[in-house]
Amino acid sequence: MESYDNGGIWGPITGRPGKTVEIDGEKYLNVATHNYLGLLDSQELDDAAEQCIRRYGVGSCGPRGFYGTVDVHIELEEKIARFLNLEETALYSYGFAAVASAIPSYAKAGDIIFADEQVSYPIQRGLAASRSSIIYFKHNSWENLQEELEKQRETDKKNAKKAKTIRRFCVVEGIYTKSGTMCPLKEVTDLCKQYKVRLFVDESISFGVLGRTGRGLTEHLDVDRKDIDFISGSLEHSCASFGGFIVGPSYVVDHQRISGLGYCFSASLPPLLAGSGIKALEIIEQSPEIIQDVQDKCVYMHQTFMNKLTFFRVTSHELSPLKFLSLVGSKVLAYDVIKDLIEQVIIHVKEHHKIALVQPYYLESEHELPLPSIRVSINRLLTYKEIDSIAAAIEDVSNSINLYDSVISNIPTQFEETKADMIKSYEAYLKWKQQNNGITGKEALEQDEVFEPLEIAEDSAPKKIADLHSRN
Amino acid sequence: MIQVGGHGQENPNVHWLGSRGMWFTYLVVMFALHLFLLSIPFLTIPLAWTFTNVIHNTCHFIFLHMLKGAPWEIQDQGAARVLTHWEQIDYGIQYTRTRKFLTIVPIVLFFLASFYTRHDAGHFVPNFVTLMFVLIPKLPQFHRVRLFGINKY
Repeated sequence: MESYDNGGIWGPITGRPGKTVEIDGEKYLNVATHNYLGLLDSQELDDAAEQCIRRYGVGSCGPRGFYGTVDVHIELEEKIARFLNLEETALYSYGFAAVASAIPSYAKAGDIIFADEQVSYPIQRGLAASRSSIIYFKHNSWENLQEELEKQRETDKKNAKKAKTIRRFCVVEGIYTKSGTMCPLKEVTDLCKQYKVRLFVDESISFGVLGRTGRGLTEHLDVDRKDIDFISGSLEHSCASFGGFIVGPSYVVDHQRISGLGYCFSASLPPLLAGSGIKALEIIEQSPEIIQDVQDKCVYMHQTFMNKLTFFRVTSHELSPLKFLSLVGSKVLAYDVIKDLIEQVIIHVKEHHKIALVQPYYLESEHELPLPSIRVSINRLLTYKEIDSIAAAIEDVSNSINLYDSVISNIPTQFEETKADMIKSYEAYLKWKQQNNGITGKEALEQDEVFEPLEIAEDSAPKKIADLHSRN
Repeated sequence: MIQVGGHGQENPNVHWLGSRGMWFTYLVVMFALHLFLLSIPFLTIPLAWTFTNVIHNTCHFIFLHMLKGAPWEIQDQGAARVLTHWEQIDYGIQYTRTRKFLTIVPIVLFFLASFYTRHDAGHFVPNFVTLMFVLIPKLPQFHRVRLFGINKY
């Protein structure tokens, strides 16, 4: 397959990304970029942005504190705060910068932050910048969080004078960007109340998607937003605009206006993007049926992938707008092998089915490097037929490039038993499939358990890129 | 919206005691205190000198060696929160001009007070004790040292 100068498989993007994206002259169905409500194709947002350009020009020419504040910023901040029924919002010009600036503005050297081990990269940068002690707890395990909080409480009892000077924080995400799983927010909130720990929730993915009216995970799980110290969000995922925000009580958010470094020392959001953000929020408020629509499609995509894909497993939550497909046998294969196999699948889907798939890329400094997977991003404008076609494309390509043979042949020798089990169950599955040609996808799900990749011990999976070479 | 720092100096506590005119102001204020004490009718001259010395050393100790952190919201990510003002001066570099000035002034004041009190024992004790309180924390060996866990957190 041809590859480009930068070693990648995609060429330059030559048209605007929406439901379809034009890359190097060819149109592809776009399930790679984040556009959950399909608002990137909306004419209303374009008109709102154009109005703002005619009125304000294209840039705001300054940070928020130095002639860079425009009335659309204030309006968007008030709108977000009213939407979530909270007191105040601080609007940042970049979603990454919002949470990466907010955490170090409260947590300083000597403080303690309890963070989920799979928090996203912006949060990791914020944790590093804060110079506090970070205690990672097992992903989505509020039991482990409780153990860590208890341990900290024991340490505090031994040195009460020191304990009075340290502040404790907890950082979780609504839906995790690295895995698409959902946080048990109710239990985490109760724990934080019990142990007097400040709670920060990052709802970049879940804002505008979860909940009956799109107000996020707090609405979906019926958690009182007053118990959370701030919610950080992003307009770049479902709102088809740009920028990030921190929303919470006034005494929390107001502090950002002086000590949020990305707020004070960065140019403010261009007014045209604030204008389109306002319009996107209006659309979400006035037509809540689009939220239900996107949730239905998330569930449908989840179930279609579960039923139709033989060699990929969906590891994300049913309602997550990001679907993570892990290759069967991921736990026993080498990292590079999985990456290459998935890349082969993506290249063939690109060539033969004109669908743009992507696998998420991570930097070396990522805290817990996840196994490679295909990340499919939901778009409300996708029809159910198109969702079916994505699943059919992946399944078709997996069969045509003999993915099964590649997986089996690449299993290292120390996992002989797993390999034998996989071969046995696959053959059983093929035989069953032959006998049951007429069964629909739903019933196939029950039979799927014959071909489950066996779980192996967690500690044998590589956690950092540096460990990869020792694995082979 | 006050933000302090800038030009690479995020903590004003580091350099404000060495800023232009500060030493002169320091001596002027000390002299004004002494004049005020001298003008109180029932204070004799030795008493006035002892009071000046003791009050100066007490204020000096409280502001430079007892209070920690800085009275602004500084962007140093909490590094100065556990440091006294003396430890923050010039980012902890020892033997700078400001530190030498602040060490010499209490010593000179002690000599003057001893002279004007005619080396009387009753005046010598408070003068000497407060001088030790002010001099010992300034030793480089005592940088970031907290005795008996006092003032540690």
